[in-house]
Amino acid sequence: MHRAARRLLVPAAVAASIALALAGCTTSNFGGEEGGGDGATEDGPIKIGAVLDITGVGANLGVPEQNTLNMLAEQVNADGGINGREVELIIKDNQSTEDGAARATTQLIENDDVDLIIGASRTGPSLAMRPLVEAAQVPTISVAANAAIVDGSEWVFKTAQNDLVVLERILDDAEAKGYTKIALARDATGFGEGIADIITELGEERGITLTATEAFEPSATDFTAQMTNLRSADADAVIIWGITPSAGLAQAAFVQIGVNKPVYQSHGVANDAFFEAAGPAAEGVIAPMGRLLVADQLPADDPQKEVIDQFIADYTEEFGSSPSSFAGHAYDAFKIGVAAIEEAGTDPEALRDAIEATSDFVGISGVFTMTPDNHSGLTADALIMAIAEGGRWTLNEE
Amino acid sequence: MSYLNKAATRSKSGFWPNNRGTIIGVAVLAVIILIVPFTANSSMMNIAVFSLIFALPAIGLSLLMGLAGQVSLGQAAFFAIGAYTHAILLQKFEMPGPVAAVGGVVAAMLAALLVGLPMLRLRGHYLALATLGLGFIVMIAVREWEFTGRTTGIYGYGRPEVFGIPIDNNGLFFWFVAPFVLIGLVLALNLTRSRAGRALSAVNDSELAAESLGVNTYALRVKVFTLSAGFAGLGGVFYAYQVQIVSPQVAEFHVSVEILLMVVIGGLGSVWGAIAGAFIVELLSEGLRDLIPAIIPGATGEVQLIGYGLVLILVILLLPGGLYQVVLTARAAIVRAWRRRSESADASAAAPPDGTADTGAGEVPTRAFGGLPGEARGDGGLGSDALGGGVGGGVEGAVPALPAVATPVAAGEPILEVRGLTKRYGGVVAVDDVSFAVPAGRIMGLIGPNGAGKTTCFNMITGAIAPTTGTVTFLGEEIQGRKPHVGAERGLTRTFQNLQVFSSTDVVGNVYMGRYRKGRAGILRGMLGLQGREQYRHEAIARDILDSMRLGEFAELAAGDLPFGRQRMMEVCRALAAEPALLLLDEPMAGLSGQEREMLAALLRRLRDAGLTIVLVEHDVAQVMALADSVAVLDDGVLIAHGDPETVRNDPAVIVAYLGTDAEEAEAELKELEEQA
Amino acid sequence: MIDFLQLTAAGLSQGSVYALLAVGLIATYTVRHVVNIAQGDYATLAGLGSISLVTAGLPLPVAILIALVSVTLASVLIERLVISRVKNLTTLVSIILTLGVSTLLQAIMLLIWGAEGRRLPAFPGSDLNLGGVSIRSQELWMLGALVVVGGGVLLFYEKTRWGKALRASAEQPVAARIVGISPAVASVIAFAIAGFVGAAAGVVSSPIYLSIWSGGLLLGLKGFVAAVLGGLVSFRAAIVGALLLGIIESYVAGYVASGWKDAVAFFILIIVLIIRPAGLVLRPNAVRV
Repeated sequence: MHRAARRLLVPAAVAASIALALAGCTTSNFGGEEGGGDGATEDGPIKIGAVLDITGVGANLGVPEQNTLNMLAEQVNADGGINGREVELIIKDNQSTEDGAARATTQLIENDDVDLIIGASRTGPSLAMRPLVEAAQVPTISVAANAAIVDGSEWVFKTAQNDLVVLERILDDAEAKGYTKIALARDATGFGEGIADIITELGEERGITLTATEAFEPSATDFTAQMTNLRSADADAVIIWGITPSAGLAQAAFVQIGVNKPVYQSHGVANDAFFEAAGPAAEGVIAPMGRLLVADQLPADDPQKEVIDQFIADYTEEFGSSPSSFAGHAYDAFKIGVAAIEEAGTDPEALRDAIEATSDFVGISGVFTMTPDNHSGLTADALIMAIAEGGRWTLNEE
Repeated sequence: MSYLNKAATRSKSGFWPNNRGTIIGVAVLAVIILIVPFTANSSMMNIAVFSLIFALPAIGLSLLMGLAGQVSLGQAAFFAIGAYTHAILLQKFEMPGPVAAVGGVVAAMLAALLVGLPMLRLRGHYLALATLGLGFIVMIAVREWEFTGRTTGIYGYGRPEVFGIPIDNNGLFFWFVAPFVLIGLVLALNLTRSRAGRALSAVNDSELAAESLGVNTYALRVKVFTLSAGFAGLGGVFYAYQVQIVSPQVAEFHVSVEILLMVVIGGLGSVWGAIAGAFIVELLSEGLRDLIPAIIPGATGEVQLIGYGLVLILVILLLPGGLYQVVLTARAAIVRAWRRRSESADASAAAPPDGTADTGAGEVPTRAFGGLPGEARGDGGLGSDALGGGVGGGVEGAVPALPAVATPVAAGEPILEVRGLTKRYGGVVAVDDVSFAVPAGRIMGLIGPNGAGKTTCFNMITGAIAPTTGTVTFLGEEIQGRKPHVGAERGLTRTFQNLQVFSSTDVVGNVYMGRYRKGRAGILRGMLGLQGREQYRHEAIARDILDSMRLGEFAELAAGDLPFGRQRMMEVCRALAAEPALLLLDEPMAGLSGQEREMLAALLRRLRDAGLTIVLVEHDVAQVMALADSVAVLDDGVLIAHGDPETVRNDPAVIVAYLGTDAEEAEAELKELEEQA
Repeated sequence: MIDFLQLTAAGLSQGSVYALLAVGLIATYTVRHVVNIAQGDYATLAGLGSISLVTAGLPLPVAILIALVSVTLASVLIERLVISRVKNLTTLVSIILTLGVSTLLQAIMLLIWGAEGRRLPAFPGSDLNLGGVSIRSQELWMLGALVVVGGGVLLFYEKTRWGKALRASAEQPVAARIVGISPAVASVIAFAIAGFVGAAAGVVSSPIYLSIWSGGLLLGLKGFVAAVLGGLVSFRAAIVGALLLGIIESYVAGYVASGWKDAVAFFILIIVLIIRPAGLVLRPNAVRV
């Protein structure tokens, strides 16, 4: 009796399940489009996805970026959208992790079917996203720094200044001051990888050698060991290459341990959070960065001044604090993307070509001119040298 | 169906589950898996995919916790090793997908074997903490190593392809993973009922007893640990494929906590529970990520952790058996209700009322790990349920068949030799320079007052404790200081003064464990389900032995529910089931009724006549004198006499030291003491 | 040489934090056989709590005092609400249970204080420079806290009747009862001590190492490694072990690679567990069965 009943149970279950299945069939999980194909979505909202380091070690970067994108999307929609189409912004937090970025990107591509992706905030997560968007052929604009993100890429662009040009500026300055030996403390993640090699290479033509390299995790809070080693390193100056807060904490330890050497930092500290982390130890640090943080000191004829002032005014009104360089990177990414969509619509190839055709675009981080071979678009002119004075960045007149 | 361990599955051998409940469960799961991609919305689909991926390490951990009774807090380490190896083989060595996948699993298992060999010598919480440390080490190692891509990790390898179809969407990927999860599930279920699985379950009840029956606990634990890592590694392989990058975050502690949570929610040791737990945790994770920021504005980051923490605490406090406990309780209630109804109505129309709850039915559950409060145990209702199926014992009055014994050496030749055996605890000498030989085919009695060192002596001979000095030679081989299973494998079995019953199984299950050393099937055969015939044969032998001791009618009763005396008899049966060459009985008569004593004495004589060598420690001096061919007397750790019963009885030293001046009075005192105990 | 001394000094101050946490872990282990994974979270909780109080305008000493008392109470509350609810609590179950507590505490801290690390203002004092070795005044506060708080706990356990009875209560509940301590009270006292020393470690270390919601786990585990060096029973050995661990970590960071620093403790843990599970000072107990 038991057996007979059980024998019935299997087919019953199967039948019930199939009935259930037929009731709500969908093919969207197999890559099908619920609202029709790419070409047919010309009248729906334009979907822009963003993958940002909103929490975790990159939060100082990701949060202002998130703010900026939200503000800009609102502005665009208030102005009637792009060519009459509303912008739908989908922001995902990668928790400052590489696999978080990859998971978020996959969701944006597969579930949300986005037309453009912005992100990630830092190099590592951006590198993790790259093969995914290249395979799915989704135009993507990273807001992170390392040149490897766009090296040979077809679909990935970026708006932050290349680490290469940043280091050029630093080493030029060092050469001018007569330093011949440099020591480096770098971020241990993607942002800091390869930096030692670039310094060695660029230093050669300037007569500068790299004498010591230390690394620190962006989550680190104790830098005694690294700074102790830098103190006894044979160097005229030190480059600390990282993002806030870790680069700021490293700066504080640098002074506490008494290394007593001039310090260069990277554009990763181009925000006010650096001063919170480093405290009085920040005084005198030199860092190349965009013009945003020294906007009030720019000459009136600076081509970027108008754009930057407007952005600062908008952002400050909206969020009650002034924007960081990272907010600027997001601004540039969004504006370049939107301009290209206005031009070419949401067909992926046309959109990519339009971004590649960006020319003399005046943004926050500089004036962009992209080409199929140059997906970064900025030159060394985009950078100024800033010096930390009295708890803020000041334009360093050369 | 009781959820006590049945002694053996009684159906044919074969790879596919031979239990109806399992077949139905797997079939239903397969159907669900088939239709999910058609019905789920995209975020649900995402959850479903990650549930399947994480079900694999969860099944592995469930086996480790349920079967081996070990907790690993570093399951993510093996998950990560699998993922990294797979990704590196694909990306740096451009190997084909299947090869890279096998590489990932093998790497995880190899790593587990290497670290398991030293670490599984640790016990309980030490192992848990060591694996926790391992997780951190792996995470830091992949973060710092150039080869593993440091903080960024390994990326840029392609999606898998099956027959030229790229698996590049969640629907296909779900189907791509599902067969592996189903096969993994079946393998794991088979393992829980296999010879190895039952042995591990017995180890959890009494490590000492299991080892004394020939179970090499350590080796089995290492194997299960390695197997568990293999499951984790396979999960990692799929994770690498799905996420398309492997970075140090996969090895993070939170991943290990997630996997642990899956197992705890599902029910410790329940393989089905692990799958359900994986789904619940993934659902919880996604749900909370949406819910918490909605309730608490501005909440960002890993907010799902609040749910993990709460659920983990609540399950352990309120529902230590997890979901599996819920299913069992519900089913027991339904069965009881149904039985009441069908008893009042016509019983002939009975059909199983437990259709929906049946997903869990196929499993012989491994128990909750040691000491977990309120762990699943047979309660009264289920126990009596099992009792109903009992088979009658041997025919009254007929002389029962004698269990087989081993006679590796000729009668009279020494089978066991003890030389200079000494045990010191700090300054106290418990056993002092004891030497004797036991000739084969004889019964030797070991007597002495309380605290004379008899049981210590026994423990040193069987390997339960290592002697300070001295040798124990069994069948020409020195076995002192080696673990109990070494002697047991060679034919030395024992019973215990303080009973060591396998309480998670029934009576025949206990005796079946005695057959352990006669079985051959290992973990692999167990997983493939290729040992049904062997198990059936051994189960039949176990039943015969029970019948011969008139315990046949209790075969299906939970072992812990037997009266004390019968538990003792059951232990003797269990020891005899091993077909020993040398049987060591530690106070076998204690707690037996007069009739039982006589029956046991008669049995021991017949066994001796069949060639078995027996050493017994006994308080009942009269019994020993009547039964033994020779008697050794220990007093205060020293062997004061050894010879035939008559000589020993008249030995003045014995009389003074042990029997006192009045033998009868001393004996009466002893009996009194015994009864008090 | 100066570098060596500098690293040693840094290691000692870091080690003092581990030492305080190890003292807390041993307190609960000896009485209850609980390995409290949440021990390190007490430190973070006290750090973040005192930061909020200082931000709210309270003077630093008051803020610290309130944080110490609240975390001590929180620990007692955890004992009453969670730990004491489990009958037959084995060490293994305690690990899983306190893992849940730790995860919950971390999530609560994340929700209240956000994901970013914060720091308490440095305690008063000026930094020293001893022949090129620079020592922050806060580091002296940390060592001082170890001497005062850790020493206090040690004195309590070794010199007072209650303390001695408490130590024995795990093995001999009767002995504890004789001086009037029920197992429940013993457990509460142990958790109060654990909460207090954890909180003390958190507030003194916050100005240098910052307080971040997720930071407690690793701190607590390193405290545990130190406790294992003391066989989970010896306060003195654990304190010495903790200071050694801090110093070794500092050397590894300085001379090998800073990224490997956090792995040191776990290598030590595994090696010690395998070679001498009874700790470095006690004679291993060889009895099986």
